Amino acid sequence: MLLILDVLTTAGILFVVSIGLLAVFGVLKIINFAHGAWLTIGAYCAVIAAELGLNPWAALPLAFVIGAALGGLAELFIIRPLYRRPLDAILATWGLGIVIGQLITLGFGRDVQMTPNLFSGTVEILGVDYSAYRLVALGAALVIGVVFAAAMEGTRLGLSARAVIMNETLARGLGIDTVRVRLVTFMAGAGLAALAGVLLTPLTSVDPNMGVGWLIGAFMLVMVADASLVALAVACLVFGAAQVLISTFVSPILGSIAIAVLAALVLRVSPKGFSRA
Amino acid sequence: MPDTSALATAAPAARSSPRLSRAAPFVVAGLAAVALWIAPLALDTFAVNVLTRSMIYAMLAVTVDLLWGFAGVLTFGQAAFFGVGAYAAAMALTYLGADPVWMVAALGLAVLAPAVLGLAVGWLSFYHRSTALYASVISLVVPIVVVQLIYSGGEWTGSSSGLVGFDVLPLELEGFFRLAALALVALTLAAWIFVRSDAGRALVAVRDNDARCAYLGLSPKRIQIALTTALAGVAGLAGFLFANASSVVAPENAGFLFGTELVIWVALGGRGTLLGPILGTIAIDYLAANLSGDLPFLWQLLLGATFVAVIILLPGGLADLARRAWGATPFSGRAAFAPALAALPARPAPDASGAPLLKIEGLAKSYGALTVLENIDLEIRAGELVSLVGPNGAGKTTLMRCLSDGTEDFRGQVSIGGASTAGLTPNRIVALGVGRKFQVASVFESLSVADCLLLARASNDGLSPFGRAETLALPQAALDVMRMTGLDQMLALPTRLLSHGQKQALELAMVVALEPRLILLDEPTAGLTKAERSTIGAVLKTLTGELGIAAVLVEHDLDFVRQISSRIVVLHQGRLVLDGGVDEVVGSELVRTIYSGGSHG
Repeated sequence: MLLILDVLTTAGILFVVSIGLLAVFGVLKIINFAHGAWLTIGAYCAVIAAELGLNPWAALPLAFVIGAALGGLAELFIIRPLYRRPLDAILATWGLGIVIGQLITLGFGRDVQMTPNLFSGTVEILGVDYSAYRLVALGAALVIGVVFAAAMEGTRLGLSARAVIMNETLARGLGIDTVRVRLVTFMAGAGLAALAGVLLTPLTSVDPNMGVGWLIGAFMLVMVADASLVALAVACLVFGAAQVLISTFVSPILGSIAIAVLAALVLRVSPKGFSRA
Repeated sequence: MPDTSALATAAPAARSSPRLSRAAPFVVAGLAAVALWIAPLALDTFAVNVLTRSMIYAMLAVTVDLLWGFAGVLTFGQAAFFGVGAYAAAMALTYLGADPVWMVAALGLAVLAPAVLGLAVGWLSFYHRSTALYASVISLVVPIVVVQLIYSGGEWTGSSSGLVGFDVLPLELEGFFRLAALALVALTLAAWIFVRSDAGRALVAVRDNDARCAYLGLSPKRIQIALTTALAGVAGLAGFLFANASSVVAPENAGFLFGTELVIWVALGGRGTLLGPILGTIAIDYLAANLSGDLPFLWQLLLGATFVAVIILLPGGLADLARRAWGATPFSGRAAFAPALAALPARPAPDASGAPLLKIEGLAKSYGALTVLENIDLEIRAGELVSLVGPNGAGKTTLMRCLSDGTEDFRGQVSIGGASTAGLTPNRIVALGVGRKFQVASVFESLSVADCLLLARASNDGLSPFGRAETLALPQAALDVMRMTGLDQMLALPTRLLSHGQKQALELAMVVALEPRLILLDEPTAGLTKAERSTIGAVLKTLTGELGIAAVLVEHDLDFVRQISSRIVVLHQGRLVLDGGVDEVVGSELVRTIYSGGSHG
């Protein structure tokens, strides 16, 4: 039971962390290596909210807004000029991540920050005491996933985004303002990353480089999901399970590289990853 | 033909002083080695220490530049190979000691272990239809895995604290500086000669257009795997030097973050220039050592911001600025190299009476529920020029693809000269004697006309890794294409400057230069002028009529088809509906209805 809960909550956390990257990769066909920096930005929004004496949950909307606003600036000045050079965009966003990490260090110092707990204590489920927060995070993942899917299916912007994912040239030919779709998508992706950063605060220590550790896992999951939300959810479940099981029964060190190695092998066998299934 | 006579005169000037230009790199390398040999006398201990490390890192920058700048493979993995080499050396020296014998063993291990890992990584990264992004993904995973393995190595690897205090080469600080300097100069010289050789062209060709490489009979994946393996070994050598010079190795030496730093240094210095990355690495690492003590965060911030700005605004790095400045000086007018053309002796025409050269039996292809080709049977003999006609969407290009790539997912049998093509990648089908010309001209945009032809001959004649061949021998038919289209006067010209028609002609010359038995041409005259079209028609008649090559031609222009074909095959809605002589097919009712667009039965 404990294992099942661990697998589910781990998958939920991975999903929350990856979904912003997925949105950007799907529509812009660009890998945002500054994704980790936006997770960090979100976590520091929680720090700021605590310093301002706000309710810890208020950090969520704050992080989304700040993350999206900064994402807009990044899209405008860094992503847009590199749209035709996707490999260079990886590098430029990585450089941006360094810059953001150093700016945060200059502003807050390099020490680990304390944030108030969003939700503490344990709940008993079928005879097992389990961290209440991890369950909340799983719930948050479900909510974010459903809202995201609804936005893609039900709004005009979502329709435009799906058109751009399938065939950007044709979408532009049909009069869709693809430049705006890219901007809004990047802002949404950045906002979601910052939101995920807040949700991570009770689980990891908050420091200027906290995002980097999450970046590679999210990146590999998105590669395997290949712009499909359902495939991302499946990938999070499968690889989250692999990570938990290997960490528990083999070794935590092997568990920590399970996602990267398994995802690389899956991609070798099937370049489209899980999205074809 | 557009007027290109002004550009065409550049070629002969190149051979003015070959001996001088060939000796120049050796002279410069010798001077650099001497200067670096005496440099420790003028530098303080701190500078000697830091620059030793910087020069070892610069060796890694050379390997990253060869992979990324020249071959187009963005890699973060060189750090892993460096770390494996450094750990192999450190572990050998720790557990075996530093006797001369064991020192040699440590060196061997430090080169061999990463090279074997490089072979495995290369095999994983590069396969038929693999993407550049996938190779980068793998190059991210490798250092992460290596670091975790080091962590889990316990006492053997020293886990997170690394290995310290092992015996090293019996050298002073200055001695290590000189050793690193000599290794760097030797590596740079070797890399410099290699990228300027004929074989160096193949790296750029893979970067530009790996599909074309495969269809010239070269295996892009084999080139990429070989390069990855060799450069992993070089990175391991740098690791050996590092372990000896610093007598400490730590997990972060193998880490992904170090891998990204290498890429940053190469990008700032200027990818694809060798000297830019070397100077960039040494300058940045030296500056970092001096500044990061006083302004640790500000320095990282500045470096990160500069990196972003350079990637966006100056993709060629600082070397590009230097090159532009140099281009503005009067010394810069060096003409591009081009070899002299020569004719290969003609091969005897193959026997046209025997078994069919190309045999297609029951070929069918579908995408999901959509059937594109159905039940195609066709035999083509040597010396035949078979035109494949049919309306748009009839499946002509799909058929060409199935003929030239055995890994396409189709049913039925295709055999060339009796050998089945099932499962064969394009380069292996080229080896069976098939040349394919694409609908949209597929050449190497950043290479010269002569280099494109050189690569077309590479699967037959090989490529020298040491220098440039003075003459380029081509089959007479390829020379004829060149002469009739005026390309023989533009050998030194980069192909991106060619007109549409010239590119089509160049690609045809490249395919003919392969000396194929069967040539597949997908609309070779699309978008050409009438004069260019009749030139290509004449070439095709010579190839099939006199040299006995079989040709399959996809074509829309029925007049052109009538003039040159020996047989016409009509494809309609994925089926082969007519196969016969020219007059029989052109005069048929069916062809008229298809081409007037009336019936779609």
